[in-house]
Amino acid sequence: MLSDEEKERYSRQILIPGWDQERLKRATVLIVGLGGLGSASALYLAAAGIGRLRICDGDRVEPSDLNRQTLYSESSLGLLKVEEAGRRISALNPSVVVEKLDVFMDSQNAGELMEGCQVIVDGLDNLKSRFILNQESFRQRIPFVFGAVHGWLGYAGFFHPPETSCLACLMRPDFDRPERVPVSGVTPGTIGLFQAGEVIKWVLGLHTPLLGRLLIYDGTDLSFEIISLGKNPACPVCSKA
Amino acid sequence: MVIYLKAGGELRTKLKPDVDDYTRRVETEAGKALKDILTGIGINPAFVAFAFKDGQMKRLDYVPLDGDVITLQPPVSGG
Repeated sequence: MLSDEEKERYSRQILIPGWDQERLKRATVLIVGLGGLGSASALYLAAAGIGRLRICDGDRVEPSDLNRQTLYSESSLGLLKVEEAGRRISALNPSVVVEKLDVFMDSQNAGELMEGCQVIVDGLDNLKSRFILNQESFRQRIPFVFGAVHGWLGYAGFFHPPETSCLACLMRPDFDRPERVPVSGVTPGTIGLFQAGEVIKWVLGLHTPLLGRLLIYDGTDLSFEIISLGKNPACPVCSKA
Repeated sequence: MVIYLKAGGELRTKLKPDVDDYTRRVETEAGKALKDILTGIGINPAFVAFAFKDGQMKRLDYVPLDGDVITLQPPVSGG
């Protein structure tokens, strides 16, 4: 049941056809990585009233994060991202239960991190970790909303194999680049908001246009393209499902 | 036959567009896979994550048809 305060707080979104605020309140969403993508999605998922946000990142805030990681401020420098993010989320919406996990996701802990989640937000900053996320989310059949950025270019997709393709159908882990990735702050902000929107619609049982598709956003000419992703019959992760 | 290649992100500079700011016209033999066409014009296929045509993703073993307009996308991994 929603309290009177909650009914008032969410009154503008409750007006949207198909909206079920209680479903959002019952939901648990995992956000892996609290950088530019994770900052945008975490704030909007909290504002929307997702009941439980499990946030995961082992990093501390650095000066070069502040051009895009809007969960943090100058006073956050040197502090753990999960602690700062947790504070920011609770200040925005105290009714959200925040589970803070001060770890980097790896193949050892990925399964445990995802347990009990309905959907996962990819806020990671490298493909190696995303492939671990992809593998484990497939094993547990938990969908994940992919996001990645470089400069003014951003991708967002929604993987839920075997119904859809998976990340390994699209990219290879050796595409990772060792150098610092250039990024305009608005690119992960834009992509992170698309990710949050897809998560909210998924939890509500509404149409999620990115399921099995990829959004390509190019901020240099402000172009958006959505393409269908075919499954790779030789995919090392999902082809044998 | 002729195909038209477009590119997103930093691949644009590698593509060296000649039709407009985004597009390069490429004359090639029929039956050649996209990755071989790319190699032939000096683009290392390792810089291309995937391609798409008419809203459908294409892998680099796709064999283009005459007149195809194909967009190349780079790997993207930041967050």
